[in-house]
Amino acid sequence: MTTTETDRPAVEPPTPDAFDVASVVQDHRVHGSVYTSPEIFQRELDTIFRTGWVYVAHESEIAESGDYLTRRIGSEPVVVVHSKDGQIRVLLNRCSHRANRLCNADAGNANSFRCPYHGWTFSNDGSLTAVPMRDGYGTEFQKVRSQLGMAEAPRVDSYGGFVFASLAPEGISLAEHLGGAAKAIDRVLDLSPTGKIELRAGWMKHLHHANWKMVVENNVDGYHALFTHASVYDAIRPAKVSHIPAKVDVVVRDIGSGHSEIDYSAEYRKLDEEFVWYGRIPRAKLPDYVAALEDRHGPEKAHDALVVGPSHTLIWPNLFLAEMNVMYVEPIAPDETVAYTTAVLVPGQDKLNQRTLRRSEGAMGPAGFLIADDGEIGMRNQAGLAAHDPEWLELSRGVETDVIDETGVVNSDKSAETPQRGFYRQWASVVGQEIRA
Amino acid sequence: MTVTADVTQAAVPGPLPVPDPDVAAFLYYEARLADEARYSEWEQLWDDDALYWVPMHPEDDPRTRLSYIYDNRNRIKSRVAQLNTGNRHAQTPPSVMRRVLGNMEVLAADEETVTVASNFVLVEYRHEQRTWAGRVVHTVRRTPAGLRLAGKTVHLVSAGGPVNTLAFLI
Ligand code: FES
Ligand SMILES: [Fe+2]
Repeated sequence: MTTTETDRPAVEPPTPDAFDVASVVQDHRVHGSVYTSPEIFQRELDTIFRTGWVYVAHESEIAESGDYLTRRIGSEPVVVVHSKDGQIRVLLNRCSHRANRLCNADAGNANSFRCPYHGWTFSNDGSLTAVPMRDGYGTEFQKVRSQLGMAEAPRVDSYGGFVFASLAPEGISLAEHLGGAAKAIDRVLDLSPTGKIELRAGWMKHLHHANWKMVVENNVDGYHALFTHASVYDAIRPAKVSHIPAKVDVVVRDIGSGHSEIDYSAEYRKLDEEFVWYGRIPRAKLPDYVAALEDRHGPEKAHDALVVGPSHTLIWPNLFLAEMNVMYVEPIAPDETVAYTTAVLVPGQDKLNQRTLRRSEGAMGPAGFLIADDGEIGMRNQAGLAAHDPEWLELSRGVETDVIDETGVVNSDKSAETPQRGFYRQWASVVGQEIRA
Repeated sequence: MTVTADVTQAAVPGPLPVPDPDVAAFLYYEARLADEARYSEWEQLWDDDALYWVPMHPEDDPRTRLSYIYDNRNRIKSRVAQLNTGNRHAQTPPSVMRRVLGNMEVLAADEETVTVASNFVLVEYRHEQRTWAGRVVHTVRRTPAGLRLAGKTVHLVSAGGPVNTLAFLI
C-alpha cells in the first residue's frame, strides 16, 4: 500500500475469487441469481466467452476469399473473415488507433478494412497496411507499427463447417471440447449427399427478454412441449411422436462438457419410417434428393439417415442444432438475449431446401408457431424471478433414473432434466474457475 | 403476384393514383380486424392463392431465403387456428393494437386486381408500448363475392432486427 495524504480509505482490489460457485449451483438446483445478477453475467462473459470455445460462424457464409461477417463473442464484436491467404480468422472489430469499429455491415466482401475515422487501413488478414500522413509520427511509433494489426482470436478451428473461436491462447482443442457432440454435427451432415450443409438462407434475429441460459436450456427441455406448445398440437398437427415420455423411446442425454440433447433416434428406428422428423412426407416427394443420398451412402445407410433424421443438440455454450435449423445465441444483458436462427440448406437440393425454408418459418423465429411461445415463456420466467422466494430453481427431475453409458448421462424419460443438470455442471466448472487478472 | 423490391423503395415514377374508395375501405377493414384480434373474420378476407409475407430483406428471394412469415392459404389457416386456441402464449392475452394506414398508392391495376402500397405505423401494447412501422403492399382482387385479399407483403422498417416476438397479425 502506498501512503498518501488523502484520508480516503484504501481501496482493496476486488477479489473475484471470492465468488463461490457452490453458493449458486448445487446438486440438482440453481439459484435465481444466475439469471439476474449483473455480476454473474459479467463473470460469464469473462469466463465462458473469454476462455472457452464459442461458435462464431459457418464456413458456407464466408465461402469466398474476402467474405466477412460481423459477429460477437460474448460482448466482444468480431469480424469473421476469409482472408486472402485462405485462412479463416476471427479479428476483433476495433481499429488499433483509437478504437473505431472497423466493419459495420452484417456481412460483405473486402480485401481490406479502412477505418473511416483517420484512414488507417488493415488487410483482411488483420495486418496494418497504411497509416495516412505517416510522417506525423515519430520513430517510437515506427518501432511498434508492425504490432498494430487488428487483434485476433488466438484460436480458431472448425468441425463440419461450423467455425468456433476461443479468445484464450491456450486450452483444450476444439475436438476435445466437442467430444461426443461432434456426432451430432455428423448426424446433420449425413443428411447431405455432398456431406456438407450451407447456412446461407439469412439469420432471423429474435430478441428474447430472458437470460441467455433460459433460451438455450429450453432448447433441450423435453418436458415443456406438451404444455408450452399445446396450441400447435391442438390446432395444427399432432406432435411427430408423442410427447408423453412413457409412450416413446426418446431419451435425453448429457453428453458432457455442457453439451446435451434430446435424441429421437431409437424411437425413429423403432418406427423404421423415413422423414418422421420432416412432416412424414413419403420419399416419392423428393426423388432427386433420395437418389443423391443413396449415391453417397448406399441404400441401407441412406434409409437409416432418413429414418433417424437430424440432431436436436445443444453445443455448449451458444449453438443449438435444431434439427433442420441452426440457432445460436448472443447474451446482451442478464435479461436480454438475441437468438439467431437459420435453415439448414443442402447443396444442390432446391426442392428440399424450399420445403425446409417453409418449415423453418413455420416453427422458428419471432413469428414461428413454436419459438414465439418459447420466447414468451422465457420472458415470463425472467419476470417470475423477481419474486425471491423460493430462491432456487429445481432441476431434479429424473435424477434417480439417470444412467451412465459410453454416450454420457442418459435418461429414458425425455422429460428428465438431465440436459439441464449437465449444463450447470459445466457452468459451475467454467464460471467457478479463478479469473486471471 | 410476388411483389418485388421496386415497390418498397424508389424506382416507381411520379405521383401515383390513390385507390378507389371501396378498396381503401377494404384495407382499413383488414387493418381493423388485425388490430382487434378478430382472427377468423380476418382469415375470411383471404383468397385461396393467398400469400402473407414478411421478408427479412426487400430483395430476398423466398426460394432461397428465410422470411419471418411466408404463409400460403393453408399456413394462414394454421396461424389463425393457433391464435384461436387461446393458448398461443405469445398472444395470451392479445396485444392491444392500433395501426394507421396511410400514403396509399396504386402500383398496378387491371380489371381483376389492384396492388396498393401504403405506409403503416402500428402501436402495440403488451406489458409495454412498442411501435412497428413499414411499407405494406396489398394485392386486392375483385370477385363476384366482393373484394378478397390475394397478397399482403409487409416490409418492416426494423426487418434487419433484432425483432421482438411477432405473434400478432402484422
Ligand atoms: S480510430 Fe481508426 S484511424 Fe483513427
Ligand atoms: Fe419449445
